[in-house]
Amino acid sequence: MRAAVLVGIALALGGCAAHVASIRRVPDQTPAADNAAAAANAAAFAEAAAAESGNESAQEAQAALPLLTPADAPPLYTYDPWERLNRFTYRFNARFDEAIFLPAADTYRRAPRTIRAGVHNFFGNLAEIDSIVNYTLQWRLKYGLRSLERLAINSTIGIGGLFDVATKLKLPGTPTGFATTLAKWGMHPGPYLVIPLLGPSTLRDGVGYLADYGVGYGINIANLYRGNISWGLLVVNGIDQRANIDFRYYSGGSPFEYETIRFLYVRRRLIEDEGLHSKVPAKKTADETPAGK
Amino acid sequence: MSASLKLMPIALALTATMVLATESNDPPPSQPVSESAPISESTPATGSGSGVGLADSAGLRATVFGAPPQDMAPLPAKVPLSEINIELPWRLPVPGVLWFDGKLRVWLSAQDRPAPLAIVISGTGSDGNTKTIAVLRAALYGAGYHVLTMPSPTFPGFIVSASRTGVAGDLMQDGSDLYGAMQEIVAHLPRKVRVTDIDVLGYSLGGANAAIVKSIDATEHKLKIHRVVMINPPVSLFSSVGRLDRLFAATIGPGDRAVELLYRRLYAQIANLYRASDRLELDENFLYSAAGATLKTDAEFSAAIAMTFRLQLIDMFFIGDLYAKTGVITDPAHPPKVGDSLEDIQSDLRAKPFADYFTRVFAPYYLMRRPDATSASLIEANRLDIITDALRDDGDYYAQATGNDLIINRRELSWLQDTLGSRIVVYDHGGHLGEIGERQQVADMLDMLSGRWPRSTP
Repeated sequence: MRAAVLVGIALALGGCAAHVASIRRVPDQTPAADNAAAAANAAAFAEAAAAESGNESAQEAQAALPLLTPADAPPLYTYDPWERLNRFTYRFNARFDEAIFLPAADTYRRAPRTIRAGVHNFFGNLAEIDSIVNYTLQWRLKYGLRSLERLAINSTIGIGGLFDVATKLKLPGTPTGFATTLAKWGMHPGPYLVIPLLGPSTLRDGVGYLADYGVGYGINIANLYRGNISWGLLVVNGIDQRANIDFRYYSGGSPFEYETIRFLYVRRRLIEDEGLHSKVPAKKTADETPAGK
Repeated sequence: MSASLKLMPIALALTATMVLATESNDPPPSQPVSESAPISESTPATGSGSGVGLADSAGLRATVFGAPPQDMAPLPAKVPLSEINIELPWRLPVPGVLWFDGKLRVWLSAQDRPAPLAIVISGTGSDGNTKTIAVLRAALYGAGYHVLTMPSPTFPGFIVSASRTGVAGDLMQDGSDLYGAMQEIVAHLPRKVRVTDIDVLGYSLGGANAAIVKSIDATEHKLKIHRVVMINPPVSLFSSVGRLDRLFAATIGPGDRAVELLYRRLYAQIANLYRASDRLELDENFLYSAAGATLKTDAEFSAAIAMTFRLQLIDMFFIGDLYAKTGVITDPAHPPKVGDSLEDIQSDLRAKPFADYFTRVFAPYYLMRRPDATSASLIEANRLDIITDALRDDGDYYAQATGNDLIINRRELSWLQDTLGSRIVVYDHGGHLGEIGERQQVADMLDMLSGRWPRSTP
């Protein structure tokens, strides 16, 4: 049995499931709701912009901030000393995604919406523990308190985290992790790193994810992380997350996808770092130093 | 698992902002639409000379941001969607670095009863599932069509899986590849999809592709394509892309150094907005808002449009050079292998205008294979007027255009109007594709497709 599964996985990874044409159902589109959401986002943005222009203290705070100039931006090149290995891992991830992750997520999506929402909320609620720990380490106690409130409300009224009652009570989830803590402490992202199965990252963020798992494992709430079902839970968590991510490897068909994703991932993290250190501009690096170094 | 994989759609949205994908329908920024001071081909409003065709300020803005959500036609609540991955028998050997592009991917939204099939072709360099195409799909599905959406023949996934040459951009060749692919796909549709009639639509370059496909079908009769609607089609392919080359040169400048400067400026602007925003993560909503706050002037809109177009082009350039073995970017004797870094190639290509693709890849390739051809004749063969007779005499060709589209000029618009007569509608706003999804555009498109156009006035 186990051998058959392995052969099946090997064939799938090798792309031997040869059909001239294959059809795959993807999630339904919801154009009416999407358009309503776009309209709402636009209205919210207009409102925020209007509020900001009328709010002098916000403008003062902004004026106090030394603004970044184009010279502060990292160059187009990204620091990637492990490129060969990273590319290999990226390609493996793409094949694994196509052969195993996506089909699993497609199957999972056939489950009733309420069940999937319950699963998603359950894992989101567990992650609040890690958020509380990390918001504390980051000394952002306001958000840590919010995570604590969310955990308390959703674990009780939300029946063990199956329902996200807290969001309905205007306490939206804002998860954080050890990667952000390290950034807050001033650590640079370090080299770009593609992690097997997880995807794009940097050395710092990779260490962060590992530590996040360590926090869960250390606290081991309800024996969920060390008990007999811990592997099963890890798999379900992975599939649930994948089913909620609207990304398809190589959907743009571009030979430069590795470069593009690397560029964007690192820039996004660097901009978020700027947000964390908004009082002090990030240390300026030499103009020709690749981004992330 | 993947906190990091989760970042990818957001990262992609970051591109959308950094280069401002013209596909976005989301972010109508708060400022009122700038008064539409016309930028005629001679005024240096963007410093670009004839870089913007018919476009005025409002046209450039609409091109970047698309139709405002409140102006959209009513769209259905739910549209089912499947992707079809198909292997085509005439596919050329797949180069190693393009291993993931071997199958053609198209998207199908099927009705559960017999219905006409609307095939939609995407614009330059784009796949068959863009935001623009999603709007057209929703409108068509809501009106009772089966909808099949296809990538542009200039999309890398199409070139590798469906092109007989690997060198994209030739109207007739691309049309014949598209026509072949359509036949294969229609033959492999799930049996429960019962098709009563076939119509083809396309936007931008896809509009020209759609018309050519119908003209091929008129002699071959393999699909019996009924009606065609072209949305914002180019008239002369090379004039249109030449315009975008000039726009790039005027608003961004020459070389990858200019691209880097543009990127640095955008990076600093977005980072400053983010720092001031009190947000905990850089998410899509923030980016779309940032786009609205970052892009205000004609020059900024123009740079965004030119950059988007350039990025859509570099894949086609790279792949064409690889297949044609013209050695402009890749060494034909030692083509790049899987695992090699392509960053320097990408950087080289960002600095290369479309004119280079034409003179150094496209023309050498086709001149070798068409003994009677000259550079001038290749340019002429890529004008919509190669099918003037069909466009004029066959009542089943329709078009939707705008009076402020940057990819055409006054003469080209007049030619479309003279040729199509009452079968073209010209809107006074929308720029390039910015009218797509608006109530009037959708209503007119559906009337054209169902033969109710031109409407008889009561």
